[in-house]
Formats: sequence, structure tokens, C-alpha cells
Amino acid sequence: MSKTALKQITIKCLRGSVAPFSLSFEKGKKLTIVYGENGTGKSTICDAFEFLGKGKVGSLENKGLGKTNRYWQSLGKKPTDVSVTLETGSSTCQAAIGKNAVVVMPPEARPSVEVLRRSQILSLIEATPGDRYKAINRFVDVSGIEASEAALRQLIRDLTDSRKIAIAVVQENENAIQQFWETAGKPMKTPLVWAEAESARETDSLESEIGALTALREAYNRLTSYPELLTTAEHGLRTAQKTLLGAKKTAEQSLQSISQDAGEVLGVLQAARTYLTRYPSPKVCPLCESSEKTADLANRIGQRLKNFSSLQTAQKQAASAEEEVRRADLKVATLIETARQLSSDFEKCRAAHSSLKDIALPKSPAPEDPSILAGWLSDNARLSGEWKKAEAARYDRKQFVSTLQKALQTWRDNTEVQRELDRLLPRLQRALEIVEEERRLFTDNMLTTISGEVGRLYEAVHPGEGLDKISLELDPKKRASLEIGASFCGLNTVPQAYFSDSHLDTLGLCIFLALSALDQPENTILVLDDVLASVDEPHVERLIEMLYSEAIKFRHCVITTHYGPWKHKLRWGWLKTGQCQFVELTKWSNDSGLTLVGTVPDVERLRLLLAENPPDPQLVCSKAGVVLEAGLDFLTLLYECKVSRKPENRYTIGDLLPAINKKLRQALKVEVLTGMDAAGNPKYMTTSLAPIIDELTRIAEARNIFGCHFTEISFKLQDKDAVLFGEKVLALMEALTDQDAGWPRNSKSGEYWATSGETRRLHPLRKPV
Amino acid sequence: MDTPSFKLAEKIIERLVQEKLLTIKEGKKLLPKLAEGKLRSEDWQLPIETSGQKESSDEQNRAETNHY
Repeated sequence: MSKTALKQITIKCLRGSVAPFSLSFEKGKKLTIVYGENGTGKSTICDAFEFLGKGKVGSLENKGLGKTNRYWQSLGKKPTDVSVTLETGSSTCQAAIGKNAVVVMPPEARPSVEVLRRSQILSLIEATPGDRYKAINRFVDVSGIEASEAALRQLIRDLTDSRKIAIAVVQENENAIQQFWETAGKPMKTPLVWAEAESARETDSLESEIGALTALREAYNRLTSYPELLTTAEHGLRTAQKTLLGAKKTAEQSLQSISQDAGEVLGVLQAARTYLTRYPSPKVCPLCESSEKTADLANRIGQRLKNFSSLQTAQKQAASAEEEVRRADLKVATLIETARQLSSDFEKCRAAHSSLKDIALPKSPAPEDPSILAGWLSDNARLSGEWKKAEAARYDRKQFVSTLQKALQTWRDNTEVQRELDRLLPRLQRALEIVEEERRLFTDNMLTTISGEVGRLYEAVHPGEGLDKISLELDPKKRASLEIGASFCGLNTVPQAYFSDSHLDTLGLCIFLALSALDQPENTILVLDDVLASVDEPHVERLIEMLYSEAIKFRHCVITTHYGPWKHKLRWGWLKTGQCQFVELTKWSNDSGLTLVGTVPDVERLRLLLAENPPDPQLVCSKAGVVLEAGLDFLTLLYECKVSRKPENRYTIGDLLPAINKKLRQALKVEVLTGMDAAGNPKYMTTSLAPIIDELTRIAEARNIFGCHFTEISFKLQDKDAVLFGEKVLALMEALTDQDAGWPRNSKSGEYWATSGETRRLHPLRKPV
Repeated sequence: MDTPSFKLAEKIIERLVQEKLLTIKEGKKLLPKLAEGKLRSEDWQLPIETSGQKESSDEQNRAETNHY
């Protein structure tokens, strides 16, 4: 038994559970059928599971209530009073209403729950294709793969474009090289061979030649300005010399006009001028005290002082002219020296051009004597232009080689790119094909699996009706759109258009079961709330059988129903109950809320009555009679025994017992499974039914005397006859049926009738002739 | 992970490795990204290119071995 098997659910103040309600789950049984008339609280149990697993109460939805959570608690209770507690083999979790949502503690113990209600049974069928897709989306959602696939597709698109560009560039480069080749006179075999050879040439020598030519030209050009500079400098020198001569002469003349003791006289004159400024009209000379020539004395002293100033000026000019001559002379000397140096530099540049055969050079070396430089320059003036042309030609050549190299390199690069893409693109395309193929296959397989499963379940309920070809198809023209198809009268159509409501209900249930079973059913509690209501009588039994066999796939399955026959079939042990726990709800009241009542199969009731001390003969016979009728009804139907027809099939023991004739009685044997041997093979004990049926025939009257009517005859019979009747009926039923595995209805062996798991093997398979 | 994308990604990677479009190592590396939709163009290109180069070098080695 799984440690996660359910133990008990306790509901407090949720919907109809006005008083705490607990439902215990029987150990080893994964299916719980909750039977109850309408209004007994079946849906509250379903609500509790949904509240716990999904945090909602689905039974209130789509009833025009708006937000339903204000109605979750029982009338007169507060939301904080609500709780649902589930105990399992491994944990206990409790759900309560939190501030914004249902809170489950501990969260990791929250069970996975799937609920299907009567009102939702057609929801998937009647939904739009888009909503239908949403329901199965979790099984076929491969959007992650689709996104990665789109990236691959985009990559192929981009690389295909790159390849086209590479091809175009290769072509363009080939054309350019072809043109160069043709311009070069088509040397060598092909343009590419020529281009390879050309671009392999060194461009360094061209670079150095251009450098040398530039240096030569610049050296020559530097010399060209010197003759004029020199002439100008020499002219400046001559002018300065002439100016010096003039200045010297003027100074000499000034000097001659002044006496020998001019220095001392100048001092006396300056003192006299100062004196005369203070005493402008003296009567006598302040120096000799003579009164002669005193008139105009101040002016005459002024004139004499002026003569002294001219001398000073002339002497200054002479000194300045002398300095100018010295400078001009130095300038001439410097220019001569520089010209000599530049001539030497030029000769060095010329020496560096000895290897340039195509370059004309001056016949004579650049002169060291500047005086003949002008002539030399004039003789070689045209050479500078030639050097410039040679330099430009080399530069053009260098540019061409560089362009050719670039064109060739671009050609090589793009050819390589093209080659690589030619290798890579088919691989990427194949990868995309695989991704697309696998994705389609996966989705198709998943849909085929789901529709196959739906078809299988549907066929189990509607065998041989030819309605099992259910298909689920994604609309290739639309994204996330699911269509349902079915076969009807041999034609493919949509089931909604032709199926009866009952058939559509079954289909809805089958789709729900198939989808629920896909998503880890072993972890899922499946809750079916009153889904049998609209299924018509001929199909309901098969539907119940189908639900029995499907329920075991889930962690647990809870089915609520108000379908009466189900209760009675269980009561009579007609259904396999190995996995099934049957509980019954009785009338709900505002005081006690949901209430369970015990439902015991009648064979068990008979056993309990016989176990009483002392047993009540009337009750024993009454119950044993009903049980015997059920057993004989089963046998006579199974072996197609002859029974006189009666209205409403009301057959009594008196009708049924004689129908099992002597030959059949003798042949009736039951192998009862008693266990397994050491090798694991089943061990059986054989019981012959003839002695039991014979004895029952003998004492059958006891049933009517004790169990059915009040008669005085019963006073004459002993109680032990009534008990014997009950014991024989119990013996017959114990041999014939198994409380867990039901009745032997399966003839697959071809030799006998067997219960589920072959706990009983009833012989013969056919009535002896 | 048990999502449909992961289940499908496993099948795709298996096929790509089988057809030598990916190495086993690269396949393992790509699987989660492929399932989560996080594979970009360059994530596809490099491993497929690399496995292609490996394959052609293997072919070359085989050819040389046969030659000797």
C-alpha cells in the first residue's frame, strides 16, 4: 500500500458541513463511492477536495453569484471557521481561507486534485477550439521547442542570405580581377593565377623607393632657394658697408668742429647754461667777469652745446652701421655654409639612388661653391619634375598592388565563407527537418494517445456501437486550436452534431478521465461529482465498471452519486468491490450537517443475523430468502434455465429452484481460491453445489413459513430449521460469490465462469444437455 | 523535468546525435536550453559547425588510415 494513500478527510464549516464531518477511507481501497439522495451533502465532500487541491469551490461557479468566496463558509459561520484537513499515510495537511486565497499548510503536502462535476461534463465538448486546446495544452505544449526551432529557422534564413552575399561578392571580385588582368595585357594563364603572383610581390621596395625619391626631391628643392638667399644677403652686406662708410665720415666731420678739450668745455658750457637759466641777463661773464659780449650769451652757449650733440649722434650711427656690417657678413657666411651642407646632403641622397636605374640624376655633383650653385640648379631643373613623376608612378603601383591584394583577399575570404556555408547549411537544414518532424510526431502521438484512450474508455461504455473512433486534431491553419471528431454511421463528423445528450455526457467524462490519467494519475485525487446522472440505464452499468477499472490508476477516486441501482448492486455484491468503499449519506440537517449511514451487503447482513445469539428465525429466513432469490436468479440467468414467464420478472424461490434441473445441479461445482502454493500457483478447494441446492429444495418451505407470513404452522417447526435454511443459503453464497471480487460472470477462460482475479471458478461453462 | 517540451527535447537531441549533427556532449549541453526555448541562432550554429568539422576530420583520418 502506498504511503500516500488517503486516511481521512475532515471538513469544518465548508458549505454544508455545519458540524465537523469526517470521512475515513478504508485501507487498501482506492475508490470511494459516496451515495446519497439529493441534498445530503455529496457536493460538499467534492468541494472540500477542490478547496484543498485547487483553492476554490467549483460547485458555486457559473451560478450568477459573482465572486463566490463569501458563500464558501456554512451559513452563520465565519470564513476563519472553515478548514479541510486531509490525513494520508505520510502527512497531514490543512486548508483554510487566508487573506487573499486558500492557504494550505504545509504547502508541499497539498494534493493534486481533479474535479469533474455534472455541470462541467460537457464543458470540453462545447468549448471553443481555443478553450479546448487550453485544456490539453499542458500535454502538448512544446512552445519552448517552437521558440528554439524558430531561432534555428532564422539562422538558416540569415546564413542563406549570407551565402547569397558571399556569392555576389566572389563574382564581383572575380570581375574586378579579370579587369585588372585584361588591363595588364592578360599575362599568365588565368586572372586568378596572375593576381596571386602579382599580389605576392613585395611592396616594401616600392615604399622605400618612394621614400628615397621624396628625400631626393626635397633635398634638391631645399637647395633651390639658396642662390637667391645668398644674393640678397650679399647685397645686404654691401649696403651695410656703404652705410658704415657714410656714418664714419659724418662723425669725423663733427669731431673736427669741436676743440681738443671738448670734454672739459662741455662741462663748463652746461654749468653756464644752468647759471643763465637762473640769471638770464648778466652784466658780466660769470667766468671772466668781463662785461664784453654779455648780450645773447645764453643763445651762444646753447649753439655750442648743440654742436657737441651732433657729434654724439654721428658716432652712434657709425657704431650701428658697423654692427649691421658684422651681422650681414655673418649671414652671408652662414648661408654659404648651409648651402655647402645641403649640397652634401643632396649628394648623400643621390648616392642612395644608385640602384634606381630608371631615375636620371645630375651629371655633376652639387657644388660646394655657392657661387656656381645657381648654374648647377638651372642645369638640373627638369630633373625634379621627373623625380616627382617617378614617385607618383611608384605610388600608383603600390596602390594597385594593394587594391589587387585586397580584391584577392576578399575573393579568398568570401570563397571560404561560401564553402563553409555550403558545408554548414545542409546540416542546419537537416537539423531543422528533424526538429519539425519530431515536434509534429510528438504532438500527433500525444493527440493519438489521448484520442485512443478516449476511444477505449468510450468503447467500454458503448461497446459495438461503432462510436469509438474519437479523434482530436490540431487545426493546422490556426494556432492552439483543437477539434474533436468522431465516427457516426461510418462517417467522420463532429460528435456535438449527431450524438445524443447521453452519449455526449459519456464522451465528456471519457475525455476528462483520459486527460486526468495522463498527468501523473498516481499522484492525483480524482473527484467525480454526480456524473452518472444523465447516463441512460443500458449504459450506466458498463460506465460503473469502466470507472471501477480506471479508478485504480489514480491515487484515489471519489465518486458521488444518487443513482439508486448502484447502491443496490453493491448491496447484492453484484459489483466487484475489491477496490471500492461504499458510503452512504443520509438526510442533511441544519444541526448535524452531513451524516454517514452504514451500508452492509445483504449476504453480510445474513451472516450477522446468524451470528446473533440466539438468532431470530423470522429475520434469518426473511433475509436468507431474499439472498437465495438473488443467487438463484443469477444461476438461472447464467445457464439460461427454463422458468415460466411472469409479469415484471417477479420470480420466487418456488419458480427458480426447480429450474436448476438435476443434470445442472450435479455439474455445478465451485473452485474457491484458498491461497498460493510455494511455487506461487493458486490453490483451490472444490465445492459441489448439488448437496446445498438439494438441501435448500428440501427446506425451502421454511422461508415462507418463517420469513414471509404469520402462520400457525411455524409454531410446529423448530427454530433450528429456520437457522439451517439461513446457513445453507449463506454456504451457497459463500461458495458462489466473493465479497471483494463479486460474482463469477467472466467466461474468458472458455472453461468456467470466474470472478475478478479468479477467486471463484464456477463450473460448468454451459448447461449440460 | 517532465514537461512535454523536455520530453520532446530529449527525442530531438537523440536524433541529432544519431545523425552526427551534434556530439553527445554538445547535445547534453543544449537540451535544457532547447526545451526552455532559450536556444539562440548562435547556440545552434556553433555545435553543429563543430560536429561537422569533427566529422570531416574523422572522415579524413579514416581515409588516410585506409590509404596506408
